[in-house]
Amino acid sequence: MQLSLSAENKPIVISSLFVVAILIAGTAYTLWTAGTAPLLSVGYLLQQLQTGSFLGICAAGMMMVILLGHIDLSIPWTLTAAAMTATAVGGDMALPTALAVGLAVGLVNGIGVAYLRIPSMIFTLGVDTVLRGLMVAQTGGFAPQDTATPLMLFLAKDRILGIPVAILVWAAVSLVIVTILTRTGFGRSIYATGSREGAAYLSGIRTRRVIVGAFVISSLCASIAGVLLTGYSAKAYQGMGNAFLLPAIAAVVLGGTHILGGKGRYVGTLIGVILIVLLNSVLSIMQMPEAGRQIIYGTVIVSMLLVYGRNQRVTS
Amino acid sequence: MQATSDTPIVEYQGISRYFAGIRALEGVHFACRPGSIHGILGENGAGKSTLIKIMSGVLQPDAGTMRLAGRTVNFATPKAANAAGIVCMFQELSLVPDLSVADNISISDPPRRFGLIDRRAQVRRAEELLAAVRCEEIDPRALVRELSLSRRQMVEIAKALGRKPKVLILDEATSALTSRDVETVYGLLKDLKAKGVASLFISHRMHEVDALCDTLSVFRNGRHIETFAKGDKSEREIVRLMIGRDVEAQFPPKPSRKPDAKTAEPLLGVRSLSWGKRLNGVDLDVGRGEIVGLGGLDGQGQKELLLALFGVLRDVDGDVTVGGRSGIPSSPAAASSAATRMALVPEDRKTEGLMLGMSIADNLLAASYGRISKGPFLDMAAARREISDGLAKLQIKIGDAADPVMTLSGGNQQKVVIAKWLMIDPDIILLNDPTRGIDVGTKQEIYRLMRDLANEGKAILFYSSDYAELIGCCDRVSVLYGGRVVSEQEGSEITEESLVAASLNIGTEAA
Repeated sequence: MQLSLSAENKPIVISSLFVVAILIAGTAYTLWTAGTAPLLSVGYLLQQLQTGSFLGICAAGMMMVILLGHIDLSIPWTLTAAAMTATAVGGDMALPTALAVGLAVGLVNGIGVAYLRIPSMIFTLGVDTVLRGLMVAQTGGFAPQDTATPLMLFLAKDRILGIPVAILVWAAVSLVIVTILTRTGFGRSIYATGSREGAAYLSGIRTRRVIVGAFVISSLCASIAGVLLTGYSAKAYQGMGNAFLLPAIAAVVLGGTHILGGKGRYVGTLIGVILIVLLNSVLSIMQMPEAGRQIIYGTVIVSMLLVYGRNQRVTS
Repeated sequence: MQATSDTPIVEYQGISRYFAGIRALEGVHFACRPGSIHGILGENGAGKSTLIKIMSGVLQPDAGTMRLAGRTVNFATPKAANAAGIVCMFQELSLVPDLSVADNISISDPPRRFGLIDRRAQVRRAEELLAAVRCEEIDPRALVRELSLSRRQMVEIAKALGRKPKVLILDEATSALTSRDVETVYGLLKDLKAKGVASLFISHRMHEVDALCDTLSVFRNGRHIETFAKGDKSEREIVRLMIGRDVEAQFPPKPSRKPDAKTAEPLLGVRSLSWGKRLNGVDLDVGRGEIVGLGGLDGQGQKELLLALFGVLRDVDGDVTVGGRSGIPSSPAAASSAATRMALVPEDRKTEGLMLGMSIADNLLAASYGRISKGPFLDMAAARREISDGLAKLQIKIGDAADPVMTLSGGNQQKVVIAKWLMIDPDIILLNDPTRGIDVGTKQEIYRLMRDLANEGKAILFYSSDYAELIGCCDRVSVLYGGRVVSEQEGSEITEESLVAASLNIGTEAA
């Protein structure tokens, strides 16, 4: 195998090929049933990316945490809490409020995992539940303001030169994440800590700060996604983040990031998000009933991971 | 003992094995007779481990045949090899840390009663086997994770004995043992020899091979070079066979002048350092240009001392002065970035020294992110320069710095750990048994490097479980016993006898 791919790039190539396969299959279907190929139109693809940007931003943050070998299960209600608090404050302070909520939740998660040494799966699940309680309490006695501010509407729905602003926000977040991961000591320390925390610590890396930093980024991403989603649906509401947790984890893992940490490239996560968004969309174009969609969606994720595992074994 | 003692118990003909096209073993002919202790020598990467993995069924050969007592065999799994009487103790310990000693010893075939594991019989069996290796003090109910590395290794030996081997393979089995245990293992191997068991003994310590083996085989670059009876060749000739070239003196010469440690302030001063029950008031000074050795039996607090100095342990009492400032570093990060920088080469390079899954470049840079950043961003040009400097300085042989560090041989891996620390230009270097499980050639390079660093004015604190290293490398040796320094020796006072006596805390002032 002269052209053998590194273990890190193989999942990226496979998932890219799968994205192409989805587009071909979907187009073949529409050509056969309606004689048109809407899947290949620029308008359709931009619209998919626009709705995919919420998931994409969540997945970007989730990847930082997964690279450490941890997980952030508090994303759904971090997203919701940021959105609901932001709309309740309203006006110009809405966006800073959302980011402040994200920062606070991230610090709590990071300190709980890095300093109190509580497993992230438990701690972030607890934080998620507490946030849900807080949000229920907030809306219990009275109805706070929940409409999106003009800035949120602009970020989620407007277009600049024909490109949805949400895609630009996603691109900006991606650029920041890629720069952190490849060009900063903090980013390399995330890989080192995720690869083997003890060796990283003994190399003089301040591993606890690295862990806190990654959780803060994850929560900040969730709060940005919350702001966009509020703008997209014109208001914030309870449970708005529920649909994002598992797809975000799936996108990161489909993109080749090792679930136990230490390995993975951001471009993989991007492709993982696109794959999930297109798969959902094509299945709904095919008017597949919900049950069938769920089955296919789950089967695809599991079988792609099987393919990755098998390939890695052969190459090693 | 048996009539078959002339036919080899194990015989290889033309065994070859390749990994991704790279030769690990090629055309190896090798035979081993029952009732012999057969030493296998060779540098890391010579193919010893592959040879043994094939023998014990972990790997299958790509070509060639293997005979066991005259019968052609082909082991598909380690279990099959075990059933045929081939028992192997691997270099990487194969014990499960969260199970008890007794569970581990009987892990593959526990005594059963009504289909369930008979705990009492299992403990009894463990007690018998531990007694056979003279480790009665190990509680069979204790968890393996609570034992020190040397105790674990003895448990490993007990476990191997429990499988009633016909061929016993010891891969670096003594590298972590104390000298008393080494004696026990020697005795055991001689008993087994009398019973007609063939032992294959792999060690990087020449004097052990010399003391124990009756036959020696040398491997180099995946080929079997020569097999001969012990005594046929001098140590020098053997080393030449192993590395394929002549070697100079094993240890670099020590500077004849005394470093001015007495006039100058020591770079590292330690006074009555205590930590829990493991350190009980250690006093120690290391000056610039000095290599100070830590001697003593295994588990007398040497490792804890190094970890405490590097800021790893919590609740350490005592006074530590680093470059004139007093105070124990609060973390490895603080220790390695203070005005007087410290570096620690840890005990286990695979779990503590390296991020095995990451590239060579990433491992080299792991301690230097702060130094090669401009603002928050890494200076990529500086990073590349540092990497090539580090590789050149230690003569690390690699294909590409982007390759995973686990593709390197053990010696080169350890060099990566050292190079990583040299990048921060440390003033004090703490070394925890840096030559364990490393080939002769690399060991000598490390000795020379230590002396060069000392001559540049660095202070080096060096723990080794090998007395010859302490004698050959150190300007002074502090022997620890029960968590405190019981003897300090200097220059020509350092001899094997004096170190052993001090280690056992005899012939010195009462503790």
